[in-house]
Amino acid sequence: MKLICLKTEHIKKRFGGVHALRDGSIEIRSGKVLALVGSNGSGKSTLTKIITGVLSPDDGQITYKGNQVQYSNPMAAQKAGIMAVYQELSLVPSLTVAQNIWLANESFKKSGFVDDQDMIEKTQELLKLFEGTFQSSLHPEAYVRSLPPDERQIVEILKAINRDPDVLILDEATASLDSEQVKRLFNLVRKLRDEGKGLVFVSHRMDEIFQIADQAVVLRNGKTVGNVLIAESSEREIVYMMVGSEAEIVREPLYHNRQDQRDLVLVTENIKNEKLAGVSFSVKQSELVGIGGLRGQGQSTLLHTLFGNDAYEGHISIFGKSIDFKHPKDAMQENVALIPGDRASEGLLLLRSILENLHLPNWKSYGRPLLKIKKARNDAMKVSNQLNLVMASLDSPVSSLSGGNAQKVVIGKWLLRNPKLLLLDDPTKGVDVGTKSEFYRLLNQLIESGTTILFYSSDDQELLGLCPRIMVMHDGKIEADLAGNMLTEANLVAASMGASSNSQNLKEVNHAQV
Amino acid sequence: MPKSKKFNFSRWWTKLNVKYSIGLSLILVVVTTVIYFVIQPNILRPGQLNRLLTSNFRTWLPVILVTIGQAIVLLGGGLDLSNGAIVSVGNVILALTVVSPDEPGKNLLMILAVIGFGLFAGFVNGFFAAYLGLQPVIITFATSFVYSGFALLLLPTPGGAIPREYTSIYRNTNLIGFPITLIVIALVLLIWTFFRNRRYGRFLYAVGGDPSAAYTTGVPVTWMKISTYIISGLLASLAAIAYSLLTGSGLSSSGDDMTLASITGAVLGGISMSGGAGSVVGSVFGGIILGNIRNIISALRLNSWWRTLVNALVIVIALAGPGLFNLIRRKK
Repeated sequence: MKLICLKTEHIKKRFGGVHALRDGSIEIRSGKVLALVGSNGSGKSTLTKIITGVLSPDDGQITYKGNQVQYSNPMAAQKAGIMAVYQELSLVPSLTVAQNIWLANESFKKSGFVDDQDMIEKTQELLKLFEGTFQSSLHPEAYVRSLPPDERQIVEILKAINRDPDVLILDEATASLDSEQVKRLFNLVRKLRDEGKGLVFVSHRMDEIFQIADQAVVLRNGKTVGNVLIAESSEREIVYMMVGSEAEIVREPLYHNRQDQRDLVLVTENIKNEKLAGVSFSVKQSELVGIGGLRGQGQSTLLHTLFGNDAYEGHISIFGKSIDFKHPKDAMQENVALIPGDRASEGLLLLRSILENLHLPNWKSYGRPLLKIKKARNDAMKVSNQLNLVMASLDSPVSSLSGGNAQKVVIGKWLLRNPKLLLLDDPTKGVDVGTKSEFYRLLNQLIESGTTILFYSSDDQELLGLCPRIMVMHDGKIEADLAGNMLTEANLVAASMGASSNSQNLKEVNHAQV
Repeated sequence: MPKSKKFNFSRWWTKLNVKYSIGLSLILVVVTTVIYFVIQPNILRPGQLNRLLTSNFRTWLPVILVTIGQAIVLLGGGLDLSNGAIVSVGNVILALTVVSPDEPGKNLLMILAVIGFGLFAGFVNGFFAAYLGLQPVIITFATSFVYSGFALLLLPTPGGAIPREYTSIYRNTNLIGFPITLIVIALVLLIWTFFRNRRYGRFLYAVGGDPSAAYTTGVPVTWMKISTYIISGLLASLAAIAYSLLTGSGLSSSGDDMTLASITGAVLGGISMSGGAGSVVGSVFGGIILGNIRNIISALRLNSWWRTLVNALVIVIALAGPGLFNLIRRKK
């Protein structure tokens, strides 16, 4: 066993009422690559941010090179030799590649002036590490804002390496790289490992973990639940640890009727844009289709694209009609509704009354000749009863409601329009359990009355409990379309991780089924 | 690296625009200056050019100084709506205390007091806006009322008289063939360039470009932001000195117009309102453009209603311009 370089013990971190981390314990060894694995919300990013001083822990301790440490900002951690390559990049778009790589680490002339020429030349050297894998637009004096995501990621990696850290954390650093670039990165990682650095590799790609890591720590619900040597482990074992032993839950999918004389409601062919890499699927009337996968694999973008918020290439048809929504109002006209995930910024006017919020998309139908406020009130009352909205009155501001009730208002305002196709973008995020079950009941009612629902959730359990069919997205594509016997938690997690070994079978099985 | 000796205009121009974003303001400086010269009847008379430079720059210097300060705050991603009020306070203090040329010690002390006040007021702004993270628009707007109120308290009615001995130095001195005001601007720019090419400049642009990325990289974001407000306060106090020497008297609302002018000047000079882009040299050009436009309007002998309208339109166009430009580009 190599020397333990950095060790975290029982780290806890809360954001409001949410425990992001309950017991984050890892040991980073010099000369070893440690993989940090876990599904959505398991606390990987929080833990890495605590180690690098971006966040400070509520409890627990960090031991680095034998001393107990506590970094209150990234500067202090960097001085001590701890660097991270972040998932959401830490580059300044309005600066050049060289300026970014050397930011807060500039080289100076004797006179104390910044030595641009020197930094540009050294950047040129650094870029050679990835030579041939990027376009000529990536050069030391290019502005970062003009670079595509993979080249930005390369700059981010070089920036971290350039500081010659003792501990380097790669947080989803491969997510936007292609295979050749990943290969170069791994060569670098191996070189650093052989130099005796401690490396942490956070990734959701199983094959990469098995390629590069020596050891894996598994986080689940903010707790360290497993620590295995990669050489003695298997994908299966790690997935099993991520899912947990209590995973065998009883499922009662909402709508069992799968004999299929129903009309196709939604058909997409090869939709492509910045986040989507060719998505094709079809959904039948009254179907409840879950969209799963790790966060940020294009799920939200898919829903927003269908709703007309994002531009795309490809073909979408709804109710048998080929459509091209340019604006959400086009989608609304076709009875399509989108319930956004970020209530506060996308779905609600927090300071206005519940009544106003419920009717925001609907005033038109009450408007002639004068505002029929009484009818509007009655309808709003009906919906709020249907939703079981807990409120003082229709006139109290939305900001006075709890998170769950506020989310009901977002849903309610679209229910008033009787949508035929409902797109849900992680609607239960931060919603309490009681409200969730009411929400499920509501979905059930909608399905039975003929509404078709596309339901993205970052909560795997919720998807498994609700949806008879789940499409798992990975890297902007549908990695697996699970239904029937194939719909198990293990398959869902495996597909989320892009574990390619069985996902191919999954697709085939599923096509056979449909 | 072998460099081609032939001067490549299009490359030079691109660099001016991309790296310093002053191409447009340079054009505007030339265009407005040419228009101004054309409508001046006596431009070719010997000595007239120097006379114009002297009289123009002594009028423009206060605004140019606050514009430089505003530009630095904007570069760091902030906004200073109190710089005009700081000018007022400085002007009032000087008008009340610097009354006799026979007390050089006391006069110097008062000048230092004005500079001290500028630094302190800037620090207060920075403390609220950067350390406590309050909205710079709101907080500097609020402090501007505190500072203006202070100026009004000190000098309720216009008055005071700064000795001729001092004002004439400001108004008419020529050094090595240039008016002293122009040399002051050159000096300020030189000092700025010194810091611009050290770590300070790098950090400033990083902070303005993306504060959270800069923070994660290890840039002391809060201190950088506070420092920009302090610099703005310092330059406002220097502007107060220049203004006092220009007018020779005190007025509690003397800096009121300068706040908006400083923002317009900075934006005309290519500074981005969202921070991290533009150059301080450009903001000097912006100040010159504003001065030229004012001169043109007054040379055309339009009545004052027109003068206000055109001034206001220039400000609106300058501020809305970048947004409109982007909108048009996106529509295409």
